[in-house]
Amino acid sequence: MSDNPDQTAVVPEPGAGQTDTIVLEGVEKIYPGGTSPAVSQLDMTIKQGEIVMLIGPSGCGKTTTLKMINRLIEPTSGRILLDGKDVTHVNGDLLRRQIGYVIQQGGLFPHFTIADNIGVVPRMLGWDKQKTKERADELLHLVGLEPSTFRDRYPRQLSGGQQQRVGVARALAANPPVMLMDEPFGAIDPITRDRLQDEFLEIQRTVGKTIAFVTHDLQEAVKLGDKIAVFATGKLEQYADPETVLTRPANDFVSDFVGGGAAVRRLSLLELARLELHPIETDEKAVGNSNGTPVVEIDASGKPVSWRHLPGADASGVALVTVPISGTVYDAVDVMLDGAASLVAVVDDDGRAQGVLHWNDLVSGLRTRERDA
Amino acid sequence: MNFLDYLASNSQQIVFLTQAHFLVVLIAVGLGSLISVVLGLAVSTGEPDPRRFSLDWFAAGVREGGLVFTAALLTVPSLALFALFLPITGLGVTTAIIVLTIYTLYTVLRNTVAGLTTVDRAVLESAKGLGYGRLRRLLTIQLPLAWPVILNGIRVTTLISISIAVVGAVVQGPGLGILLLNGISRIGAANSFYQVLAGTLLCLVVAAVFEIFFAIVQRLTIPRGIRV
Repeated sequence: MSDNPDQTAVVPEPGAGQTDTIVLEGVEKIYPGGTSPAVSQLDMTIKQGEIVMLIGPSGCGKTTTLKMINRLIEPTSGRILLDGKDVTHVNGDLLRRQIGYVIQQGGLFPHFTIADNIGVVPRMLGWDKQKTKERADELLHLVGLEPSTFRDRYPRQLSGGQQQRVGVARALAANPPVMLMDEPFGAIDPITRDRLQDEFLEIQRTVGKTIAFVTHDLQEAVKLGDKIAVFATGKLEQYADPETVLTRPANDFVSDFVGGGAAVRRLSLLELARLELHPIETDEKAVGNSNGTPVVEIDASGKPVSWRHLPGADASGVALVTVPISGTVYDAVDVMLDGAASLVAVVDDDGRAQGVLHWNDLVSGLRTRERDA
Repeated sequence: MNFLDYLASNSQQIVFLTQAHFLVVLIAVGLGSLISVVLGLAVSTGEPDPRRFSLDWFAAGVREGGLVFTAALLTVPSLALFALFLPITGLGVTTAIIVLTIYTLYTVLRNTVAGLTTVDRAVLESAKGLGYGRLRRLLTIQLPLAWPVILNGIRVTTLISISIAVVGAVVQGPGLGILLLNGISRIGAANSFYQVLAGTLLCLVVAAVFEIFFAIVQRLTIPRGIRV
């Protein structure tokens, strides 16, 4: 399998009628001496290429569930299937070498260089030196760290965010089909965390792993998950896509857990690229038009610099704010509030204006267009 | 006759005794460290589950018992311990080495246990999650990370052994103790004070040599990623 570098692998759409990669059947965990099960009679299926976020309050069994998949915690009863194969009783150490595992702060070995850290599992699987070395460089590249700079460094010479990237690279090293992630971004400052999450999604687009991801952060679950599994005291309360969990919580527990502000959080699920935006003009001749199209002044490179004309308002009194089209409605609201502006210009990757989103659109309903094929 | 004259005229004996002192400490510390580190590794384990009996309980028992036992041995006056071994192993090198070895056990065992248990849990957890078995984890992760602490224990125990080895002279053990014991027993006689002085100063020389030795060992054996 390692002969097929994951960059060139054909990546299927997440969960689109794919095979069930991880199956938990009636899995239960009762800790020795414990009276009530930490996880009781859990049935759960994760399809190939999906990111499933396990979330819930502390002690709800989400981490226990994750660790039962690679048998770091042995289930008391039930069956675990990976790719259709029952792994409930196979050798745990050998099983874990086939499954990627990332924990908080990376858990890197401080006495190994970065390249050696990444090569840990390939070496155990008997890869030769050259191949292991090339794989480490390839993965450093993938996670955005320049191999020639980083491969011979030691973990303590890296920032928390960089260490976490290496942790992800190490988990990907032997190209396992399944990755388990235990609050990997939990101890990282919010700005770095946000960037790591974006990069993580970017990497997932190229590697297409089947991922179970424990988090306590609903925002993170909504942002990263194809599906969210909400746990409460050892039971799975709801297992659905983020939109459903936010808008149609299965019961009072989930609704309490999701809490107020679900409508606001849903904004971060709406991508600007999918919205029907209002037109925008950049032509000087359009100033003074009566069809209600705002006109923006652009600089030599085509980037908007200020409003020239706004229907029913004094253009000079309104700050021009822009948001990239790759963002979400949440980002658009954020810049509007920040700039005290009632409208925002949506710009493409080159910074050119693509359209306008008005504050009023939020309450009068956002129109989405048909998703591009 | 002044001190320098004394040194010059007895240089052969003094050099010989210094070398013997160095060697007897080296052998005892080497033996004691080997025993303690192997024992420490063997009984290193996670916290035993209080609700279930397992091998972990046995290991924890040996570990705690071993620490108490070796600590007790350390508090026995060295003069007494040398005397106690006399009927068994007689006069000479063997008794000196056995007793010295016993005194090295506690410090090294204590530091081995401490070093192994203070390894970052996240590191061990991720090792386990990547498919490291118990032995591989112990030898390639825990031991190298605990090594600076263990080595410190060996270093401390060496310094202690240098002074205890002096007492070994009562059982005719080799080393600078012979010089000191001789000087003290003849105190007031010719050169007796010089003997005591030479014995003391050369113990310091032996200690200095060991310190240099450990500085080199430290440099060579502590992995670069955790060197301070």
